[in-house]
This record gives sequence, structure tokens and C-alpha cells, in this order.
Amino acid sequence: MSQIYKREMVFIVTGVVALVMMLDYFFGKNIPGISGAGNISSTLQTWALIIQLMAIGLGAINLIQVHYRQISRKTNMAVYSAWFMGFFALLLLLGFYKLATGVELYPYTWIFKNVYVSLGTTLYAITGFYIFSAAYRAFRARNIDAAILLIGGIFVLLANAPIGEVIWGGFPLIGNWFNNVGQVPGMRTFTVVGALGLLAFGFRALIGKERGFYSEVQ
Amino acid sequence: MSGQNIWDKLQNVDRRVFYWILFVALTVPFLSPIGLPITITPSSQAFYDGIKTIEKGEVVVLSINSGVSAWGDCLPAMVASVHKVYDQGGKLIVWSIGYTDVDITWAKIKEKLPDVFSKWKEGEDYVYFGYSPPQETNVALLRDNIRAIYPKDVRGVATDQIPLMKDINGANKIKFVLSSDTGDAQMYYVRQWKNGPVNYEKTEKPPTVAELGIAMNKSGDMAYFLSGDLFGLVAGSRGAAELEALTGYKGDATITMDSISVSHILLVLAIILTNISMFATRGNKK
Repeated sequence: MSQIYKREMVFIVTGVVALVMMLDYFFGKNIPGISGAGNISSTLQTWALIIQLMAIGLGAINLIQVHYRQISRKTNMAVYSAWFMGFFALLLLLGFYKLATGVELYPYTWIFKNVYVSLGTTLYAITGFYIFSAAYRAFRARNIDAAILLIGGIFVLLANAPIGEVIWGGFPLIGNWFNNVGQVPGMRTFTVVGALGLLAFGFRALIGKERGFYSEVQ
Repeated sequence: MSGQNIWDKLQNVDRRVFYWILFVALTVPFLSPIGLPITITPSSQAFYDGIKTIEKGEVVVLSINSGVSAWGDCLPAMVASVHKVYDQGGKLIVWSIGYTDVDITWAKIKEKLPDVFSKWKEGEDYVYFGYSPPQETNVALLRDNIRAIYPKDVRGVATDQIPLMKDINGANKIKFVLSSDTGDAQMYYVRQWKNGPVNYEKTEKPPTVAELGIAMNKSGDMAYFLSGDLFGLVAGSRGAAELEALTGYKGDATITMDSISVSHILLVLAIILTNISMFATRGNKK
């Protein structure tokens, strides 16, 4: 009985929230006959924000649990987990200090500027090297489809680089055609099909037919 | 191995060779800049034409939805845009949908534009609100009630006490949203801010949205630019270099263009070489 109750409650809550949000989206704050509808949707959106912020806190707790387990079991990854726990504690303390006093201590800024930024930008830049090596092995005209992809790719590459225009004025023209015209129908198809899929998913979830969404409570 | 000819060897070059070639080649333009001219693409031109219409006192939102790892692609366009907003006499509201490192990005933008931020007054000409969680519902809420998400700015000043925010609590007083993304948060603004006329009074005009995104997302964003959902699109460092050329503010993207030229031409040469070697060895394998 309680299982049915739980299930029905999820149906009702989901349905009501979805209905309010849809009415808000399509009719705005002035839904005929429903005074204060805008306030309800705003309140629901604020609740969503609170839930998201709580989720971040839960994520942090989960991270601590996972890494604590690695350390206590002395797995191969324990040393990395210890690093994580150390930095986590340090940044947490520095963050709380800033929150309490309003003063940003030098180590807090230093870690962000000299560790986080450097690692982040390096990680992104390093993909250029992988792409270079991977393109050499993968971009081979083994059949007609691959050849078409290859030619299109070369035009787009040379349209993006100023040197392409210096080599031949046609590179940016053709490359930009691929960018602005050639690929757009495909992209639109993906977008429209994706949106239709989302609509179907939303509708199924709304009427309780989407098993993936409700499986946890059934 | 000894029976391998040059074409066979070319088919199996160690990846570290490529890394070194690229690394050495990329140092050349830094030591000796080439400075090739660049042409302006219609999407960057449209962006520039749009922000050129900002009038004195009009308010623009800069939504930093990209992290420090995307600085190479996104930062120069944001810097050039902020500079242009300042030039036009506009005012700026800055926040982030989902990037916890936004404080560093905003600090970097300020560091890049000392002439702007020595004259702009915080709270009067610009306001920085910082992070909010990465959900579309937040953008929807911001449309109607900024104070619900940001009751105060990062300095701790109550939003009600900020002179710039005196008459602003939603999208109805915003002219443009400049969204810098590695994902699709720009579409949150299109769906929730721009394409929602029912949420505005008849005399109000919904803000329009432009994208300052990473080059990888250009193909996806292009469809929205051509449909008119985005009034402008600055894609990657190339787009940023075009924007820098248009605004006259020469920043990092213009310098990067030489590296883009070198890396792209090397990539094309590598592709040509690998295909020649593949065709040369095709008969051998049979």
C-alpha cells in the first residue's frame, strides 16, 4: 500500500509541477482565471535552486566517502585520494576563513591561479597534440565516404586558419560554405529530432509511462 | 621491420614525433610573429553590428558559462566584448550559470582591461554576481526575479543597495545577453528570455542573445544563428580575432592566429602525407 502511495505521490507531484511550469512558459504570469500563477512557478523555480545547491553539498560528501574508502582500503589509488583529501580540507578551511572574515588569504588565491588555472588550460591545450597525432592515423581516405569527410574537413580547417586564404582565396569560401550551409540541415535535423524525443519523454514521464524515471520508487 | 620501405614507416610513426613537430612549430610564430590578415565572417560581423547599437546607459548581461580550461577559445571574445560595451557607454551585469571558477575568469577579464576598470565604478557601471547552479530553471527565474538568485553581489552588497540594479530585477530591462559557453547555456537564454514574449509587457522588448563560444560548438550554434535565435556568433579564437579586428582592440586572439595557421597547415600536411603513404603501400598489402 505504501509503495502505491509513494508511486502515486511521485506521479501527482511531477504532473502538477510540469503543468505549472508549462502554463508559465506558454501563458506567462497572467494565466486567465488563475491569480498568482506566476508566484507559484517562481516558488517552484526557487525550490529547484535550493535542491541544486543541496545536491552540490551531497556531491562533496559523496566525494569524501569515496576517497576515504580508497584510503582506508589502501588501494592503488589511495595516494591520489590522500592528495584529494588534503587539498579538499585545505581549500575548505581557506574558504570558510574567507566566508567568516571576508579576507581572502594568499594561499587560496595562489592555489587557484597557479594550480587550478595552469592544470585547466594545459588539459585543454594538450588535446591539440592528441588531435594532431590522431588525425594522422584516422584521416585516411579508405573509401569514398571517408574521402568526402576528409576533403570537407581540410576545407573547414583551412577556412579557419588565416594561412588558408593566403594559399588560395577559395579555401575560406568553400570552408565557410560547409560551416554555414552544408552542415546546417544535418544539425537542424539533430536538434528537431532531439526536441521531439524530449517531448515524448516528457509526456511519458507525465503520464507515468516512463519506467526509467519512476523505477526507483516502483 | 628491416623489410619496411619509407611508406611503411610513415604509416607507423611514433606519436611522440608528432608532438615534438607540433611543439617546435608552434614556438616559431611566438618568436617571430607572422601577422596574416583575416577576413570577417558574417556571424562575427553580425555580433559586432549588434553590440554597436548599445546606447549610453543600456544594460548588457555577460553570462560566463565557460571555465578556465576554455580561456584560449572564450576569454579573448569576452575581453573584446566588455571593451566594446564600455566604449559604447553601456553597463554590464556579470554572472555565471554553472562554472565555479568564474571568479578567476572575471578577475582575468578585469586584469586584461585596466583602462576600462580604472574608470568603471563597481555597482554603478558594472556588477558582478558570480556563480549560480547550472540549470535552465535558474535562467527562467533570473528572467523574472534576479534577486531570488542573487540577493547580493560577490562583495556582499545587497542587490537592492546596488545603484545599477535599482530598477532592474529581470530580463525586461536588459538589451543583450552575451553568453560565453562551452555547453548549451546560451539556449537557456534563447528559450527562457528571448523566445518568451508572454513574459513581457507589450511595451517591453525581450533581450536578444549572442554566443561567444568554443570553436567546437560552431556547427551547432550556426543553426541558431541562421534561424535568428542568436543575433551574433563569435566562435573560438578565430571568431575572437575577427571581433578584435572589428573593435580595434588587439588582444590575445590576434596573436593566437599565427599559431592557428601553423598548427592547421601542419595538420593538413600530415593528412596529405598519411594518405599518400596509405596509397603507396596499398598494393604491397594485397
